[in-house]
Amino acid sequence: MATYGMALDYKNCINCKACEVACKEENGIELGAEKHRIWVGGNEPDGIWPLLSMASASFMPSQCQQCQDAPCEEVCPTHATYYDDRGIVRVDPDKCILCSYCMNACPYDARYVDSRTMTVDKCNFCSDTRLARGETTTACQATCPTKVRVFGDLDDPNSEISILLRTREHFTLKTHLGTRPKLFYMT
Amino acid sequence: MAIEISRRKFLQGSVALSVIGGTSIGVSPLFSEEEEHGELSITTKTGTGKAKLVPTLCEMCVNKCAAIARVENGIVTKLDPNPMFPKSKNMLCARGNAGIQALYDPDRLKYPMIRVGKKGEGKFKRVTWDEAYTAILKGTDKFSGMEKILDEEQDNRSSFLFCAGEGMAEHTFKTFYGAFGSANWLNHSSICLQTVSSAYNLTLGAYPGADLKNATYVIMAGANRAEAIVTPDTMTLFKNTKGKGTKLICIDPRFTNTAVKADKWLPINPGTDLAFVLALTYVVLKEELYNKEYVEANFNDFEIYKNHIISHGYTPEWAEKITTIPAKEVYTIAREFMQHAPKAIYYPGRRSTFAANDFQLRRAMAIFQALGGGIDSKGGLVFGKKLELGTHEGLAPLYFQAASRAVQEVDRGEGKPGYDDCAIVTEGGSWLAWRDRFLENRMPYKVRGMFVYKHNPILNMPNTKKSIDMMKRMELAVVIDTMPSDTVMYADVVLPECTYLERTDPVNTFGGVEPSIAQRNKVIEPMYESKPVIEILRGLTQKISKPLFEITKKHDMDVQDMMSKITPTLSTATEDANMTEDSNTTMSMAPKSEEDIFAEFDISLPFKESQEKINEHMVHELYGEEGVKALKEHGVFYPNMKQYFKQVSANEFQYYPENEKAYSVNNGAPKTESGKVECNLAFLTEKGNDSMPTWKNSFAFVVPKGKFRMLTGRHAQYTQTGTTNNSVLHDLMPSNYIWINKKIAEEMEIEFGDEVEVSSPTGKVTIKAYPTEQIAPNVTFFIHGFGSQSEELTWAYQNGANDNTVIEDKVEPVYGAASMHETNVEIRKV
Repeated sequence: MATYGMALDYKNCINCKACEVACKEENGIELGAEKHRIWVGGNEPDGIWPLLSMASASFMPSQCQQCQDAPCEEVCPTHATYYDDRGIVRVDPDKCILCSYCMNACPYDARYVDSRTMTVDKCNFCSDTRLARGETTTACQATCPTKVRVFGDLDDPNSEISILLRTREHFTLKTHLGTRPKLFYMT
Repeated sequence: MAIEISRRKFLQGSVALSVIGGTSIGVSPLFSEEEEHGELSITTKTGTGKAKLVPTLCEMCVNKCAAIARVENGIVTKLDPNPMFPKSKNMLCARGNAGIQALYDPDRLKYPMIRVGKKGEGKFKRVTWDEAYTAILKGTDKFSGMEKILDEEQDNRSSFLFCAGEGMAEHTFKTFYGAFGSANWLNHSSICLQTVSSAYNLTLGAYPGADLKNATYVIMAGANRAEAIVTPDTMTLFKNTKGKGTKLICIDPRFTNTAVKADKWLPINPGTDLAFVLALTYVVLKEELYNKEYVEANFNDFEIYKNHIISHGYTPEWAEKITTIPAKEVYTIAREFMQHAPKAIYYPGRRSTFAANDFQLRRAMAIFQALGGGIDSKGGLVFGKKLELGTHEGLAPLYFQAASRAVQEVDRGEGKPGYDDCAIVTEGGSWLAWRDRFLENRMPYKVRGMFVYKHNPILNMPNTKKSIDMMKRMELAVVIDTMPSDTVMYADVVLPECTYLERTDPVNTFGGVEPSIAQRNKVIEPMYESKPVIEILRGLTQKISKPLFEITKKHDMDVQDMMSKITPTLSTATEDANMTEDSNTTMSMAPKSEEDIFAEFDISLPFKESQEKINEHMVHELYGEEGVKALKEHGVFYPNMKQYFKQVSANEFQYYPENEKAYSVNNGAPKTESGKVECNLAFLTEKGNDSMPTWKNSFAFVVPKGKFRMLTGRHAQYTQTGTTNNSVLHDLMPSNYIWINKKIAEEMEIEFGDEVEVSSPTGKVTIKAYPTEQIAPNVTFFIHGFGSQSEELTWAYQNGANDNTVIEDKVEPVYGAASMHETNVEIRKV
């Protein structure tokens, strides 16, 4: 079976938030500023006008890091959070009891409560929408104006993502926690 | 336990409501109801079952990106990028994705309405389409009808003003204006691209594109492509900056998202870009860094311009005092630009007019670009190709009585004719100058009615109060729109247009390095009683053509003359059969009946066919069945598309092979009539303007102590007033905030979110504060589009502040464009 991951050319990101809206529309995410599966982080630049650091103000697109050792999956008492056969960390809304352990365990702040389904929701790489229809991109990847994301099979050495990870330097977020994310940020 | 609240349920809810609305003839509920808003706070998850995919074009902003609408059980559940369109290159921005919320906005205009309350009060009565058309013609006890106005004005069709915002169907509305026979047309151009497009046209012969894909050096001054998205520029540029091949120099009074993505950002005093370009030009001329071969072959009056720049002493040291950009940076940028040229671009930009010198600024930019030879060439400014479209016949009746445009020629003091508002009046007109003439009773004749299409002058024109006064003084204001905008609130008759996802619009051609034709296809049937504008105009013109002809008969001497020549013949049947072929033949023959004469005055003719049929005709004429089929199936067509279009990677597509791209179409020469870069436009002096870009002391940036220069601008998640009621976009940024320099804010004890009052001679607004290091101490900024006063807009009503309440209505002297960055404001904590 495949193991899905995502590579992010994050320096292309212009913080236009197309990905955030595409995700909401595709996956029927609840409205509300705090309810989102993906987001773009931005900083105020360091410095004092007019001497401002451009690098300090870069944008960081983020979402569930699809950890290979996911703390949220470990702490879930009902196994509502689980790995599917493609290595995607998913949530079974029927099993979720809203204990919110996962929210505390996640070092990436990637989980939020969907008040309609009373589930602690998160990004699932469009598993039950686009991937279920046989499509090969996530909504965030497809819509992105500057093409930040490449989604694909890490097990296939010839996949675009595998080639990118072989040829471009990259890093993962909070590597020291040992969560082994499958989201790779390319430098 | 999946609780799926589908959008279908919401629709059922609102359809039920419309029936209630239909049975009560009362004033409400014409707009949305509160329970609907609760229901709308959802998005629909796309399904895995059967779906219809319809290629269309987005209308959430001006770009017209290609989208594919996913329709499940008659509901649009998702808008995806259509990868086949070279212009939008497989993308859809936040607004494009949120088009679904525009379609299903509960506040939408649903039915034709006529005013029953006071003007501006927002009290309307729901009527049928026929009743609305009748009200336009006959008036009611609340407002005058068209018949009365035209009869009293002796059939002067110019007694009606027509104004329109930008859109694919703008031309359809303009056809109505032309057929109606008025000379008063105001569109968005004077608050849009008027000065930039005219300056480039006069200097280089075209308003060019920029080949950002192959440029290695880009100066982007006064343009913010990361936030004011323009396709394909935004996508192309930011894939290449930050060490990926293109060095980007950003010049902006604010530290924008474009600054974040640049290699160098230099803040500049607002309105002083002209001094910066003149200094760049000075360095290049003085150090002889320009492309001598190119200049020799392609410039007119180069020596005059060179002498002009050098003799005025436009040195970097001179410019530093005006702009704040250090002289040594100007030397560096000028030298680097010419080292990279011709693969270097001084980006032309695509924005409104900010300062009185905007026209001359654009001229100076165009000439500076040409000095490097990067014209009509790979990596430079490009003219590109435009694919032709077939023709569709319009109609332009001429009325003997119709007065010409309401502008007055005056002596501009140099013995040469000009206009009292500005040097050159273009087709789109000067909105602000026209409004002033109207309000100050300086019209050569009475203008008493107006038609407004997809346009929101109350919020979009500087000095809101004047727009309100203007709308109030119109005896008949007919507004066609999709939303109950502030302008709709001042209408006498409201005609609801359907949204872009519910209509096929005129097929359009998109020029560039990779030209194509694209078509907005109808995704679903129009909801409620809304209609596309072509159908609205069909119904309206069918209603008014005959009665207006009666007025024409009464007042138009030409028509009276024709009437006297009616010679009825017996063999009408055979004559009729011949007449259908060639209308010119019938014109030259003596009319046989009044019907013959009326045929020329039947203004419903241009709207007779459906848009689908017109498009088919226009495409088939040149591209046959292949073109027609491609536009229906893919929304996009260009010759050899099947052969050329290829997927290159998961994200990238090829539209044309490299050797087929139209980088150069004119052998590198400008497209002016003379075939040369026009440095010196002598005719401008005749009109009281400078023939060459010249700095004047009056352009200097001056802000009295304690005041701030007010800047406005665009945003990646909002398109002016058109999107501020969008529930999904509202999540991304719930309101507009005013940028205040952090140190100044501290001194004024203003913290984030504090309410402040912003005031100018034209008005005052209250807005929340955003203290930041990203703006100079004497400059302030908030984005345009907020602060609506229409109570019918759930999310936009009294949300944030409207910039145009405080922006003074200053008019740029060459084209009469609104000069938007020349207002100083006071700020105080409230």
